This record gives sequence, C-alpha cells and structure tokens, in this order.
Amino acid sequence: MPITNLLSELGIMPLRAIVFQSLLLMVAIVLEAMVLRQQLRLGYRPSMQYAATLNLLATSLGWMAFLAIEAMLPLSLRSQIISYVLFNRFYANSWREMLPVAVVLAAIAAFFATYWIKLQGLTWLLKLLGQAPAEAPPIPLEKDRSQIYDRARRGQIAALPGMGPQGPSPRALAVLQANAASFTAILAVLLVVNQVGVLGW
Amino acid sequence: MVGFFRQILTNLGNLLRPPRYFAWQTVIYMSLFSWLMSMLARAVFATPFTVGLLATISWICLAIGVGWALETNKIRPFGISIAPWVSGAILCLFLFGSWGGRWLQPALVAWPLMSFAMVAIPTLVSWDLSRKSPSAVVRQQLALLFCLSLLFSSWFQFYFRIQSWVRDYPSLVADSVDNSAFVYRIPGQAIALPAGVNHLTVAEAMLQEQVNGKPWPSVERWLLNEEGQRQALQRQIQAEMGQHPSLEDALWRLDLQPLTNGLGYTLKLWAIWTGPAATQGGYYLEKTCQLMPVNQNVITQTEDTGAPPGYTTTQWASLTCNLETPRQAGNPRAVYGSS
Repeated sequence: MPITNLLSELGIMPLRAIVFQSLLLMVAIVLEAMVLRQQLRLGYRPSMQYAATLNLLATSLGWMAFLAIEAMLPLSLRSQIISYVLFNRFYANSWREMLPVAVVLAAIAAFFATYWIKLQGLTWLLKLLGQAPAEAPPIPLEKDRSQIYDRARRGQIAALPGMGPQGPSPRALAVLQANAASFTAILAVLLVVNQVGVLGW
Repeated sequence: MVGFFRQILTNLGNLLRPPRYFAWQTVIYMSLFSWLMSMLARAVFATPFTVGLLATISWICLAIGVGWALETNKIRPFGISIAPWVSGAILCLFLFGSWGGRWLQPALVAWPLMSFAMVAIPTLVSWDLSRKSPSAVVRQQLALLFCLSLLFSSWFQFYFRIQSWVRDYPSLVADSVDNSAFVYRIPGQAIALPAGVNHLTVAEAMLQEQVNGKPWPSVERWLLNEEGQRQALQRQIQAEMGQHPSLEDALWRLDLQPLTNGLGYTLKLWAIWTGPAATQGGYYLEKTCQLMPVNQNVITQTEDTGAPPGYTTTQWASLTCNLETPRQAGNPRAVYGSS
C-alpha cells in the first residue's frame, strides 16, 4: 500500500504540538486583545489584529530561538530535551538534579524575552501602519520640573527619574499586562492538563 | 450523443482559448512555449545558461499561471484561497528540487515564506516594478500573514529536527510516544528494533568464538574472570560499532551474568538502555544462553549432558542462545543484584 508507506516514511510528527500550540495561541490572543483594548482604548478589530500579530511573531521567534539553542547545547542536555519532547519526562542523567531550576529560569527568561519582542513588535507594527503617535513633544526642563513638583505637591504620582513626566508609557504597561495575562493563562492550562491528563497524556 | 461531444469540445475550447490576452491561459502557454524552447535549446546544444534561463522562465510562468487560474476560477476549498500556496509550492519545487539529496527539507521550510512572497509581491510591486504603498488595512493583513507563515515554517523545521533526533538515536523510535505532549505517530507503522539487538548479536558471536567447543575446565576458568570478560565484551562491541558510529552507542551498556544451572550455566546477556525512555527506570533487552558441558563424541547434541560424569574422558562446552531478545522494564541489576 503506497499510502501506508508514505505514512511510515513520515515517522514521528509534531501534530500534538501543532494542535496544542494553536489552542494556546487562541487563548493568548483573545486575552491580550482584551487587555490591549481596555488599556489602549482601541477598537475591537485593531486590538484583535495587534494581539494576533504580536503573538504569532513572538511564537515564531521563540521557535527559532529554541531550534538554534537546542543545536548548540551539550549532548547530555539535548538528550533530556529529546526525552521531554518524545516521552514527556526527563530521564536520569547528570543533568537530572538541575533541570527543575533550569526550566524555571528558562520560563522567566522566556517571559521577559517575549515581553521585549511584543513591545518592539507593537512599535514596529504601529510605525508600519502609519499610526505611530508623534513622539511626546519635549517639554522644557523647567516646566517639566515644575509639573513634577506640582503633582508631588498634590500627592498624585511619585514620578521616577528617567520615566518622563507621565511615568512609564501606557503602551509598555499595556503590553506588560497583556503578556502577564496570557502567560498566566497558558501556565494554568498547562498545569491543569498535566494534572488531569486531558487528551490521554 | 454528437451534441454531447460537441458540448464538451466547446467547453474545452473555451477553457483553452484565452478570453483576452491578459489571462491565465496566456501565461500557461508562455510557460509551455518556454519549456519547449528550452528542450529545443538542449537539443541543439545551446549553452547551459540559455537552457537554464528558458527553464526558469517556464517554471515562473507555470507558478504564476496556475495561481492565476485557481484565483479566477474561485477554487477555494473551505473558503481558503490556496492559489499562493500552490504557486509557492511550484516555485519551491523548482528552486530546491534540483538540489538532490535532502532537498525536501529546505523546500518545505521555505514553502510558507514563498507563499507569503506570492501574496505580498503583487501588492507591494506594481507591473512596472515601481513600489506601491498599499493601504494600512492591507499592510496589517500582510504583517499578520508574514508572522503566520513564519510560524508554519517553524513547525516544518521542528518536524525535521525531530527526524534528525531519530537519525541520531534510532532506538527512540522503538519506544512508545503515547505520553508525549508534542509528537504523534500515526498508528500502524512498522516499528524498528532497538539497536541493542545488534549489540546482543555481536556479543553472542563473540561468546560463541570464545567458549563454544572449548574444553570445559578452561571455560569454567574463563567464567571466573567475570568482570574481565564483561569489559572485554564491551570493548569488542565498541570496536564493532565503531564502523558505523552513532550517537546512541554511548547510551547502550552491555552486561552479562552467569547463573549456575545444574551441571552448566545459564548466561544472561543484557543490553541496557540508559537514554531517554517512555517508562520510569528505562528498559533492557535480555538474551538467554545455555552453557553446558557435553561429551567429546556428541558435541552437537545437548541431550546427553545428563550422563553421569566419570564415564566420559573430556567434557567440552556447548553454547546455545535463544533467538529472541525479550524487552524488560527496569534495570537487570535491580533484579539479579550488583556484580
């Protein structure tokens, strides 16, 4: 049978990863769109489009980083990754003790890397769409300072140096919140799936 | 009947005759013409450059023509426009198909990006090769499409990375991937034997050479140096496998354990997998051999081993190994104690 020959030629395929990643991406895009819409006062459609573009960009760059780093790791660590991908468990070798720490560190690094990519991506995207808001006009230092004093007197915001008169830009805050929301949701889904064993694993 | 054929002929004629010059049929004919010209050029021994140029034009025209035909005839399965995907596939076939060897990998990885280019180029470049600047809506769609094609390309790369893992560690295929959160194997595939079976076969051949048909007392002395034999066996396996080195050879450990069994011994040969495995504690393959003393005149028959000693002059060793190598979970040293 040629069709069975073809299937056995294909071997092991990352089908579960594709299905699972698509589902997680949908969850993340919807959540981030909600956060961006609220924080940046965007319309329904643009917030969805921005969230989708940023998440797809971050995901594909993440894949590339994973594939590049994986090729450079020492063999004993690579075989642990292989073990996790194929069998969903680590096996006993010299890295066994350090792996939980390494996984947590990698997750934290992934969070900040994703945040940076999404923030940069949003800036590029707005520039591409010709919607980049004109840079805030430079306020003369005297006025700036008087404003800070003014606000401080009224006890509003403790303006930090280097953050500009309005504090951190609303875009950076919105992307940070969106990223945190999607990471939390994805982590929750992963934990539930691992505990309950949905889909037979 | 005649009317039916005439109807078909008219339909075919309408399909083949371009309604105007600016139509997909024209491009397909250009592709065909260019291909015929390249054949002609090859026949009259033109320079390879000419042949290559004509063939390239033919392929590009074919990609554009097929995409155009799919688009104008509104062939859209599930509402998805497949025209750029088909055109991209044709271009990838052309670009990478001539590479030979493992050309499928770059072709599949480039396919989504090529398809994106097939969508993007008409909107970004006009017919006179000047840059167009599309509206913001189109630009947003293009950005989204680019990220999506990047993701598809990454998935293809991940697939090929898994294949390279399997090439490096062939025994991984012999294990079950049902627990995986990433991969799926379509059931019904023939699953290869783990490489440990080869190691056991080599070890058996070596044992045959060393003890079979040798005087029984020397074999018993040979067995006394159990640790030495174990190391010699491992060295021999390494040397044997060195001709086709594989990354996973370092993850197989060969072990042997003689157990007394009546007059002779039962030799257990183990190939222990110390690499990634689906079950806790890994697994090992076991080959059981019977090492028995036999009388001189009946070396090949093992039935006479029960004959009382003393009647025979010299006893010889006879080694018979089981063909099957059953797979057991865990580590044999946990069952038989450490050596």
